[in-house]
Amino acid sequence: MTVSHYYLPASVPEALGLLGAHGPELLVIAGGTVAMPLINEGISLPVRVMGLRRAGLDGIERTGDELRIGATATLTGLLALDAIPMLREAAARVAGWSVRNMATVGGNLFTPPPGGDVATALLALGARAVVTGPAGDREVPLAGFWTGFMTNDLASDELLTGIVVPLEPGRATCVKFGRKQANTPAVVTVAVHLAMDEDGETVRTARIALGAAGPHPVRMARAEAALAGTRLEPAAIAESAAAAAADCEPFTDAVASEWYRRRMVAVFVGRALTVLAQPASPASGRGA
Amino acid sequence: MASVIVSFELSGREVEVMVKPMTTLQAVLRTQLGHTAVKDGCRQGGCGSCTVLVDGEPMLSCLLPVQDIAGRRVTTVEGLTPAEGLHPIQKAFLEANGFQCGYCTPGMVLLAKALLDHNPEPGRDEIVDALAGNACRCTGYDPIIEAISKAAATAAAGAAR
Repeated sequence: MTVSHYYLPASVPEALGLLGAHGPELLVIAGGTVAMPLINEGISLPVRVMGLRRAGLDGIERTGDELRIGATATLTGLLALDAIPMLREAAARVAGWSVRNMATVGGNLFTPPPGGDVATALLALGARAVVTGPAGDREVPLAGFWTGFMTNDLASDELLTGIVVPLEPGRATCVKFGRKQANTPAVVTVAVHLAMDEDGETVRTARIALGAAGPHPVRMARAEAALAGTRLEPAAIAESAAAAAADCEPFTDAVASEWYRRRMVAVFVGRALTVLAQPASPASGRGA
Repeated sequence: MASVIVSFELSGREVEVMVKPMTTLQAVLRTQLGHTAVKDGCRQGGCGSCTVLVDGEPMLSCLLPVQDIAGRRVTTVEGLTPAEGLHPIQKAFLEANGFQCGYCTPGMVLLAKALLDHNPEPGRDEIVDALAGNACRCTGYDPIIEAISKAAATAAAGAAR
């Protein structure tokens, strides 16, 4: 054990004070499900660590047409949420019960691929990160939050304190494909939100996010554009799936090869869109 | 670096330990408090053998700095087991042969406890879902699932009497 100081701030101002004092050398953890394995193995040897479990950031509240999720709300907390069934689908497929009781929604944004299923779902939902620093809060659309593999838009004196998810009408689903049915890292995760025209059948705009197919969760602009104005006809779905497979940047790891992941991106973007092409039914659990 | 003192409730008893910063609950339970039913499996959050209940909810003690749970209520199999005999869930595991080597059993028993507290009559799918994060390399899981079904049925029969 190399940790010399483990701080457990009881408030955001206290946490910001610690970040200001120790900045880049301070490792911030919340649920511990990503950081603790590395520390236990001696792969990560932090000297100063700040845990957020007591910082009072675990609330989830609905305000008007937005859902505000505290950064340390757990994935189990998402499972109790009726407002966005797609988020529940995404959280339910992460790891096992005990891990979901610990892992946090905010922490999922810092989980390296092939992790980050919930982050992928949030990206497709058009969510924004609430970043708090000495000057107060700022909001960053998730599409601009990640800047590379394990890098992001946070300054060393800033903290991710929450996530805001717009409650937009439309159709949404999140499909995770892994090697097993449960407790498994993703070969690929596909999250889709479709805003429909007034006829309820024609796609106005689409957001398609992929996990495990790039250095961080990524939006697929050409695959999205291929759906606008369509009624999700098979040809439109095929074109969108092909565009996603061409544009994604998958990698090889112990779970799957780059070659396989790229092919599964095509398959599972196609499947997700095919599910969403069916007429909506209250029981389908895919409302946005 | 300076040690810190942490107190929490362990199976109905107030305990106080002195630890280096960020020591895991797993290490404290095993090496300082003798609760060795909490296993030291992967230390990665991948096997579930170190599962404990914190305020009744399953968590992995290998990923949990003990300072995080100061003042909270921790339950291990040592705490679940009555002074005489066995807890009904333990009896059900015995009757259904819900273990072979036994390494995963404490974690499985605690998950079963938490599951039945939430949902006294779980269906097979709900049991499978609850166990999905805990590995057993002996039984093939079916005897464990049966044990939990049995424990639920026994509790329901007891309640109906």
